[in-house]
Amino acid sequence: MNKPTHKSKPFFLWKHLNKLRWISLSVIFAMLILIPFLHVYQTYVAAHGYDLLAPSEKRVYDVMESLTEPFVADPEKQLDGLKGNTWSGTFGSLQMSDPLAVLGQTAGSLKFYWPFILTALIPFILTALFGRFYCGWICPATFLYELNSNLGMLLRKSGLKIGNKHFDKRLKYIVLAIGLVIAMISGSVVFASMYPPAVVGREIYYAIALGGFGTGAVYFLLTMLFELLVARRGFCRYLCPGGALYSLIGHFRIFRIKRIVEECTDCAKCNVVCEFGLDPLRDKFGQECNNCTACIAVCPTDAMTFYISPKDIGAQGPGHLGPKYRRQHRSEYQNDQHGGDI
Amino acid sequence: MSRRNALKTLVSSAVLLAAGSTPFAVSYLLNPKQKIDPKKHLRPPGAIKDDHAFVAACIGCGLCGEVCPPKCIKFHQREGAGQVNTPYINPEEKGCILCNKCMEVCPTESLTVVERKNIDMGIAQIDRTACYPWVDRGICGACVAACPLGERAIKFKHWHQYQPVVQKACVGCGLCVEVCPHPSLPIRVVERASGSITRHTVS
Repeated sequence: MNKPTHKSKPFFLWKHLNKLRWISLSVIFAMLILIPFLHVYQTYVAAHGYDLLAPSEKRVYDVMESLTEPFVADPEKQLDGLKGNTWSGTFGSLQMSDPLAVLGQTAGSLKFYWPFILTALIPFILTALFGRFYCGWICPATFLYELNSNLGMLLRKSGLKIGNKHFDKRLKYIVLAIGLVIAMISGSVVFASMYPPAVVGREIYYAIALGGFGTGAVYFLLTMLFELLVARRGFCRYLCPGGALYSLIGHFRIFRIKRIVEECTDCAKCNVVCEFGLDPLRDKFGQECNNCTACIAVCPTDAMTFYISPKDIGAQGPGHLGPKYRRQHRSEYQNDQHGGDI
Repeated sequence: MSRRNALKTLVSSAVLLAAGSTPFAVSYLLNPKQKIDPKKHLRPPGAIKDDHAFVAACIGCGLCGEVCPPKCIKFHQREGAGQVNTPYINPEEKGCILCNKCMEVCPTESLTVVERKNIDMGIAQIDRTACYPWVDRGICGACVAACPLGERAIKFKHWHQYQPVVQKACVGCGLCVEVCPHPSLPIRVVERASGSITRHTVS
């Protein structure tokens, strides 16, 4: 059986986007660890007391000095340009905040403070274009959760019975609504203490610069245990209010993933790797897809690709190289091989 | 039959609500409410005076702490479920040096840029029954030497005696509390409105 030739072969670099995603996640996580150390270094510089530092503090000073020396002349002032975490941060003169922070703060204070609302403009536009890409490419909690789910896979392979329960994905919209209502009633930004990326960024800072983890670390460990023991990526799939907000913003996103039905062999590897429990095999991406490109990377026949459209293409039926399609079209298949509509 | 259906939807919506509020409940239970001592938990400079408005506006990003050069800004971690992750300054450990970096970096309106002389974190208050020079137990002057605002904020009563007197221009940065050598800290930062409750004068 010779394979029919097709025009729509995916661009060869899409296959490697998953590696780029891991680099992006690791870099952002490393930055979250580096920035508190830079702050500690800045405080040492500001104190003008290198000789009074303890040996371990001197080591931090030396390492940070060698790291930053090529870029900054005056670390005490210039390093202020790189601060914060993914919840809210400054990069040079650019301030960016999580849209969930803006929404929660507006609900909590019941006031529109435009300088703060505009800090979420760039993330908002990017989310409208790329959908829930924050969840797959930036979120520091995703980095830990994906390692956690890989650990769960290993444990499952070694014979441990680890729960893989499924709940309703719409639960996270209810969590978002409940959070907004609590914020309005209690007058505080409740998302800040339960939204994992905010918790992770803050706790790393507490641990490095302020001398110890806070209660958020316990909370994050509980969510990790929930993901490990109850449902794979359970928090992101079913509970995360930020994911809910990004899904809603990115409902009409432009960059989507589609399945090339002519190349698909129905091997269902994409369904297995999909961290968000979607169904790429039956073309069910929807607003929940975070463009993480794991399905593109894993596909053995290059049947997944990006395409630009505000809508999903909908169900395309079984893959044309799979056994089910062959059974349905046995007579056609023997005569001529036009991979048309079913 | 319809009653059974209604009951079913009621129960399922209750279960959904319970499941949806679980993360909030867990984070709330991890941060039990505790009493906050206003003398040990000053808000950073430029903060909204109304603390409820401050808590409502603060998103707990930690940026103010990350730019603070003396690392005086700390964060409520277990005190107060609503106030968790909001910043405070404990002048007994470290006072604010009034560098204004925190109010410049804050993305929200909780810390807004104000002039140095208009900062209102409170006002220092001296207990004259304990302060060493005031009870004639020697000379000190540590608070006057530490004050970043100089004579406008705190000065000696007479130039040759070492009895400190707080002035109106004091912004409550707490550096005097940090350096005070007396174990019971007779100098404290209190709210400006309640500054004249105990025995001290603001001349």
